Amino acid sequence: MAESSEPHKIKLTVKTPKDKKDVEVPEEASIKELKEIVAEKFGATAEQVCLIFAGKILKDQETLKGHNLKDGLTVHLVIKSVNTSRTSQETTSNATSNTTAQPSATPSRPTEPSSSSPFGIGGLGGLAGLSNMGLGSGNFMEMQQNMQRELLSNPDTLRQMMDNPLVQSLMSNPDYMRQILTSNPQMQQLLERHPEINHVMNNPELLRQTMEIARNPAMLQELMRSQDRALSNLESIPGGYSALQRMYRDIQEPMFNAAQEQFGGNPFAALVNNAGSVAGSANPQAGQENRAPLPNPWSGLSSTQSSGSSSEARTTGENRSTSTPATQGMPGMTGMLNSPGMQSLMQQIVDNPQLMQSMMNAPYVQSMFQQMGSNPQLAEQMILNNPLFASNPAMQEQMRTMLPTFMAQLNNPEIQSLVTNPQAMSAMMQIQQGMEQLRQVAPSFATTLGLGTLPPPLNPATSTVPTSSPTTSTTSPPPPTTTQPGSDAFSNMMASMLTSLAGQGGMGSGIGGIGGSTQPPEERYRSQLEQLTAMGFINRDANLQALIATFGDVNAAVERLLQNRPMI
Amino acid sequence: MSELQSALLLRKQLAELNKNPVEGFSAGLIDDSDIYRWEVLLIGPPDTLYEGGFFKAHIYFPKEYPLRPPKMKFITEIWHPNIEKNGDVCISILHEPGDDKWGYEKACERWLPIHTVETIMISVISMLADPNDQSPANVDAAKEWRENFPEFKRKVARCVRRSQEEML
Repeated sequence: MAESSEPHKIKLTVKTPKDKKDVEVPEEASIKELKEIVAEKFGATAEQVCLIFAGKILKDQETLKGHNLKDGLTVHLVIKSVNTSRTSQETTSNATSNTTAQPSATPSRPTEPSSSSPFGIGGLGGLAGLSNMGLGSGNFMEMQQNMQRELLSNPDTLRQMMDNPLVQSLMSNPDYMRQILTSNPQMQQLLERHPEINHVMNNPELLRQTMEIARNPAMLQELMRSQDRALSNLESIPGGYSALQRMYRDIQEPMFNAAQEQFGGNPFAALVNNAGSVAGSANPQAGQENRAPLPNPWSGLSSTQSSGSSSEARTTGENRSTSTPATQGMPGMTGMLNSPGMQSLMQQIVDNPQLMQSMMNAPYVQSMFQQMGSNPQLAEQMILNNPLFASNPAMQEQMRTMLPTFMAQLNNPEIQSLVTNPQAMSAMMQIQQGMEQLRQVAPSFATTLGLGTLPPPLNPATSTVPTSSPTTSTTSPPPPTTTQPGSDAFSNMMASMLTSLAGQGGMGSGIGGIGGSTQPPEERYRSQLEQLTAMGFINRDANLQALIATFGDVNAAVERLLQNRPMI
Repeated sequence: MSELQSALLLRKQLAELNKNPVEGFSAGLIDDSDIYRWEVLLIGPPDTLYEGGFFKAHIYFPKEYPLRPPKMKFITEIWHPNIEKNGDVCISILHEPGDDKWGYEKACERWLPIHTVETIMISVISMLADPNDQSPANVDAAKEWRENFPEFKRKVARCVRRSQEEML
């Protein structure tokens, strides 16, 4: 036995379910060395090798002696399956080869939840959920991963699926989508920790828009491909996980913008390109698939990140915010204004003062103001290309004449602060709605006031954002456009509107027309309003606005109210 | 005398198992000085829900072995109709010999002195592959296995994954 030809080496039998081989190892060898020998013999890597002897799994740092491994003994070998997926699945490689073990292979792994769930919102989350519901089985995340993998390898299926009327109708049902997303436990956790994200969930329009991203196959593919990798990179940095969460909040907005401007390309591609070198050049990947291997977007930052990860994350988020409009907006600004998405964005802004406000406060918007101010031509072009004006030459002319004043106005901090004040915004909105209503109810009266010069509403949905909309979206100073023109008729009309509004208080709450429902919101949300009042929210108008913005969701409205409070 | 016999028998079995291990499990002692307490590592049988898992179990032999059966207990959490939630394995061959007082099991299905660690482990492995829901030890698992198999599968998969994490 041991005293055979080679005294220093012992012979062990290594046994797998299918195979049996003898290996010779030095008596003093460590398990790691043994593993390497075994790995070579079985054509695997040392990491894949799992050796079992006497009821124990042999660990790298142990020795043969420690386990009493002597010549002629047999050890079990389990070769863990090769990691085929592109995602970071090393830890479960064994389970991934195994269909039955797969469903729950993800939930408690630390890297997975975050990598999937934050972008699950914007990316495929809902989709995976759909199929999941259909199959009535298993785990959301794992399904999602599988699906991603499959879809990546077969874009046609993806397109087909996305064009499937059933999927489309499901995706356009905000309640259903919300349910799917919130039924994900990781998502729930996230929501618990970050109530702000709740707003995303409670904003069906935004949900729908994010789902729209998914309909752009190239973008989706890119998104799916990069998210796992990029995020796992980030997460491996100390403090990266919380940075990720923070970043997500910053991403939320730009992502929403991207949803509006589908031609704008992948927001994440921008992230990748600009994390190191901030902004400037046009996004080369707009609208096309990126096949090149991903660089580590955070590699340049990692050193600082580890020391002060929280502040770093902030900058990452902001760099990103700044770059999105810069890369996508400026060159393609005019096109952007013509996009149909713009209209819904405007609608969105009216519905959601919160969003508006945060947008206004975002650094990139500020920088845009400045750019606009220093480059009147761009601004002019922008305004003239707006569909609202494009269809109305008279209005265009008017705009042109008042542009210089408007530009000056843009740089007026007072106006800017006005715009960032939700109350002012809502007041403005009410005026405009009142005007609109007046125009419909009493056309002749409106004409005498000069209202007739207003462009006809593009469609019922956007009718509530008449003159101010062109600038609301990009630069958003509605007041200058409406009040500055120097056209007396116009300002007179505004003034009279204001007084008439004040006179009949009922009209002030006419904001509810937004939803398109025939019932006034006060009626529609009466029970919710009462609930809110009972909870101690006494500002009825604010309550109503919150309810309108949240489509009558009391919980979300409460959150909204609480969030707004310090700013009011 | 019987004590000596049991120890001898177990030692012989252990040596044999280390030299020529049986497929699907690996056996050793919890403590090298105590031949009556074994530790086995069960490799989740291929093509079952438990594939890929590494389940650790202890087997406690009585001094009267082989006249009386050992007890087996899973240390790794495992979800199975015939394994109690605390890990105790409930299979007929580990039941005390003689006729079942409730008449469920025949004497030949129960403990017999011819059983060895190997035969016990083979029984357990086949039990993993094919649960017996007639006499469940974990009623919830049995019910799930019958009525909500996807959920059963999910729980098992979780055990498998955890068992891997524990081991590595």
